[in-house]
Amino acid sequence: MTAPVIAAGGGRAALRRNFWRGVWRVLKRKPSRMLGMVIVLGFAFMGAFGPMFYPDPLPRDTAALYAPPSWAHPFGTDFEGTDVLSLLVTGSRYVLLTALVTAVITVVLGAAIGLFAGFRRGRWDTVLMRITDMKLTIPGLPLLLVLSTIWKFTSALEMGLVLGLLGWGGVARAVRSQTLSLRERGFIEAARGLGLSTTHIIGRELLPSMAPFIAMNMLIAVTGAVYAQVGLFFLGVLPFEANNWGVMLNLAVFGGGAMSSPAALPYLMAPLLAILLLTLGIVLVVDAMDEIFNPRLREE
Amino acid sequence: MKRLAAVAALLGLAAVTACSGSTGDKPAAGGGSGSGGGLYTTIDGLKPGLDVNGPINPWNPKGNSFIGLNAMRLAWSKNHLTDPNQFYPGIAESWEIAPDNSSITLHLHPDNKWSDGKPVTAEDVKFSIALAYTQGSTAFAIDPGAAGAASEVEVVDDKTVKITQDMDNPSVTFVRGVMDSYIVPQHVWSSVLSADFWDKLKAARGEGAEAEKAREEITALSEKVLAFAPPKDVSAGPFTLERMNPSEALLVKNKNFYNAANVGPDQVKLLNYTGNEQIWNYLIAGKLDNAPFTAVPADVMKRISTTPGNGVVKGYSPVSLGMAFNQSKKPYDNVHVRRGLAYLINRDEITKIASPEGGTPAVTTTGIHQKPAAEWLGADLAALEPYKLDAAKAEEEFKKAGLKKDGGKWALPDGTPWKFTVNVPAPFSDWVSGAKAITSQLAEAGIDAEVVTTADYPLYLKELAEGKYDVGFWLIALGPAPYNIYQRLYGVSNGWSILGGKVKHAEPGKGGNWMGGPETIEVDGAKVNPGELTAQLNSASGDEQKKIIGQLAKAANQDLPVVQLWDYVNTQFVNTNRFTGFPENDSDLLRQPSGVWIQLGMVKKQ
Repeated sequence: MTAPVIAAGGGRAALRRNFWRGVWRVLKRKPSRMLGMVIVLGFAFMGAFGPMFYPDPLPRDTAALYAPPSWAHPFGTDFEGTDVLSLLVTGSRYVLLTALVTAVITVVLGAAIGLFAGFRRGRWDTVLMRITDMKLTIPGLPLLLVLSTIWKFTSALEMGLVLGLLGWGGVARAVRSQTLSLRERGFIEAARGLGLSTTHIIGRELLPSMAPFIAMNMLIAVTGAVYAQVGLFFLGVLPFEANNWGVMLNLAVFGGGAMSSPAALPYLMAPLLAILLLTLGIVLVVDAMDEIFNPRLREE
Repeated sequence: MKRLAAVAALLGLAAVTACSGSTGDKPAAGGGSGSGGGLYTTIDGLKPGLDVNGPINPWNPKGNSFIGLNAMRLAWSKNHLTDPNQFYPGIAESWEIAPDNSSITLHLHPDNKWSDGKPVTAEDVKFSIALAYTQGSTAFAIDPGAAGAASEVEVVDDKTVKITQDMDNPSVTFVRGVMDSYIVPQHVWSSVLSADFWDKLKAARGEGAEAEKAREEITALSEKVLAFAPPKDVSAGPFTLERMNPSEALLVKNKNFYNAANVGPDQVKLLNYTGNEQIWNYLIAGKLDNAPFTAVPADVMKRISTTPGNGVVKGYSPVSLGMAFNQSKKPYDNVHVRRGLAYLINRDEITKIASPEGGTPAVTTTGIHQKPAAEWLGADLAALEPYKLDAAKAEEEFKKAGLKKDGGKWALPDGTPWKFTVNVPAPFSDWVSGAKAITSQLAEAGIDAEVVTTADYPLYLKELAEGKYDVGFWLIALGPAPYNIYQRLYGVSNGWSILGGKVKHAEPGKGGNWMGGPETIEVDGAKVNPGELTAQLNSASGDEQKKIIGQLAKAANQDLPVVQLWDYVNTQFVNTNRFTGFPENDSDLLRQPSGVWIQLGMVKKQ
């Protein structure tokens, strides 16, 4: 991997323009990438503005419990006659915000620790990597289960913070090994020879080379965070929110008998499909991102 | 998902009862002769998750002693609506209870033998009672202040045991406590207890340092008893455990069982399950000959019913669900707030959403399940306030309490927002959906309401008792003994306890008092101490008992320490493809596991 050389001064704006033009070109090349982008943006829109389209509290129709899918209720209704689609949309904000917070924390913390340890080596490296190893040995899910008994995670930020703090280990290790390899390359040696500051070398020379890797990790962390929190809610250890995707899955299976009879199946399928679609969107975008950042993959 | 286990366990707990003298019914001789044979498949409602390494030990919660099959009690309670003194024979064939409840004389089946051929004797019973002391049961408690404890266990002859109650501190729960004892073979278990156990027990029931030391020694034996694992199953029940793996346990007929000739199946297979969904799937596949009470969604019920041979039997179970208030928290200390909430909760709708198959909407709040309520209260039941859905009355009550409506939302008298938070344990899916439906109904009436779940039931009970919740779901009406019914409302959790025969009231937040109700309440203008009335139920009988129950029902109805939501219906499943002779609707045997039906000779091969 080679680092994009960043020209000084006025060239940067042009470079940025070129970059976005490049992004657009890469996206256009495969329709699947456009689809991925549309899905991801669609979810972002749903999380940001979706809940505004529905009244609070959501209307219910107790004459139609577990109603089958219809035009009025594309995914049927839940145990108390609330439209499942409206639950899905209003619940997306918590899920997606948590995922975003988790991804940001995972990547920022992981990359910072990895870069610092790899670049400084020596004692700092040893200390940080032992901490990382220790963190990696702690099994995430059991710890979360224990934590959930004392901490209720009522806000998405809290949930994201915890998941993020539990998830940076892998990123830190990978970034460190990348850094160790890059710091021996000629361009870093040259930068050091020129007497550039460590901040400059890390921020301007090393980080851009690792940007694709970090960006991909961030997207993957989003899916990981969605699975983790939905899993926790599915297990029923977290506070009850009727529109939480994990709670929906839990109630569909254990309350509605979705695995034994078809009535609650749409109720089960709605959050599952949402998670599937989100994962698909992210995978497709990661594919595009790979090419954006890795010039060797560009088919020009 | 683990709801079944919890409710089943509570059904078992439900009924620590009283008695006044009766003899056991003879086991049904059973329809048709020579109708034995076959493999009977079921699940044990008390044992979700079979543990292959569990000891064959009835006291061990993970043990492989299955009640009614290879674990035997002295007798099986009928949990009768109003007369809690009725039992079916178990290890005991018949019994006489002294009219003042001071003693019970048990007569064992003359020809009953353990599965290894040795006779079941009075010494086995006495030895098993000694083991019960280490576990601290109601009748066999070492605590000198305990009510309804036995003072003497006397072996009259080889087949007769007399157990005397300590009349310094009597309780109607004494006989039920005796009858619920598990009986195990002394010749297998003898190594667990030292020969001087009874001397130690005598010392423990005294006072002073020596007694304290003896009590500690007996309590210390508890772990040893729980861990004891006999090398093979020696049972006086209709079956013995033959073998098991993580997915099933196989039990074979015990030829030495007193009623072996009338035991239908040759073998019983217990299937493993960890959640209700597995039981639903077994039922849909037609695998189970019987399944005990299981919460079932309406649509799954339809699918189960379409399987050939499957049928549903329903009966009474002495359990209701209430929404209980912590009255030490505002605004729930105000009776008008509680009444207002009761008027806003549509119980029919809640039951339809949460427990369509296993519950029936409460007719009103009495503290008693509607079936025995009709018997106990008669015409008075109709005179109680029914708390039908009525938004106008709710508004009136809230205004009386000083609540203010601002912008369509109710606020506390001082203007701060009112957040109604109801707590439920997360694994009980019917409670969760019921609580959610309540919050939806309240939200529509302008109350900011939310559900908060707790990870598991034991933690939920712990936090509830610590007073951490404002409002929480609470099982009530755990009969049939009237004292047990009302101590759920006016017992320890509301501050009243009986110590050394005296009723004491603890301040809210102390001594397990989380409901925090006042010590006296006004009922029809007169001051009443409901805790004292409840305690009187321990010794009252006849018309006096009825009168007290009437007063307490009225108190509960006006004071509303809980809002009664639904009364459980004991919904069970049977499959008649392979066996017949199952209990009919409303049979008292539905309150015992199917092992009891089999041992009484009811279930026959098709």
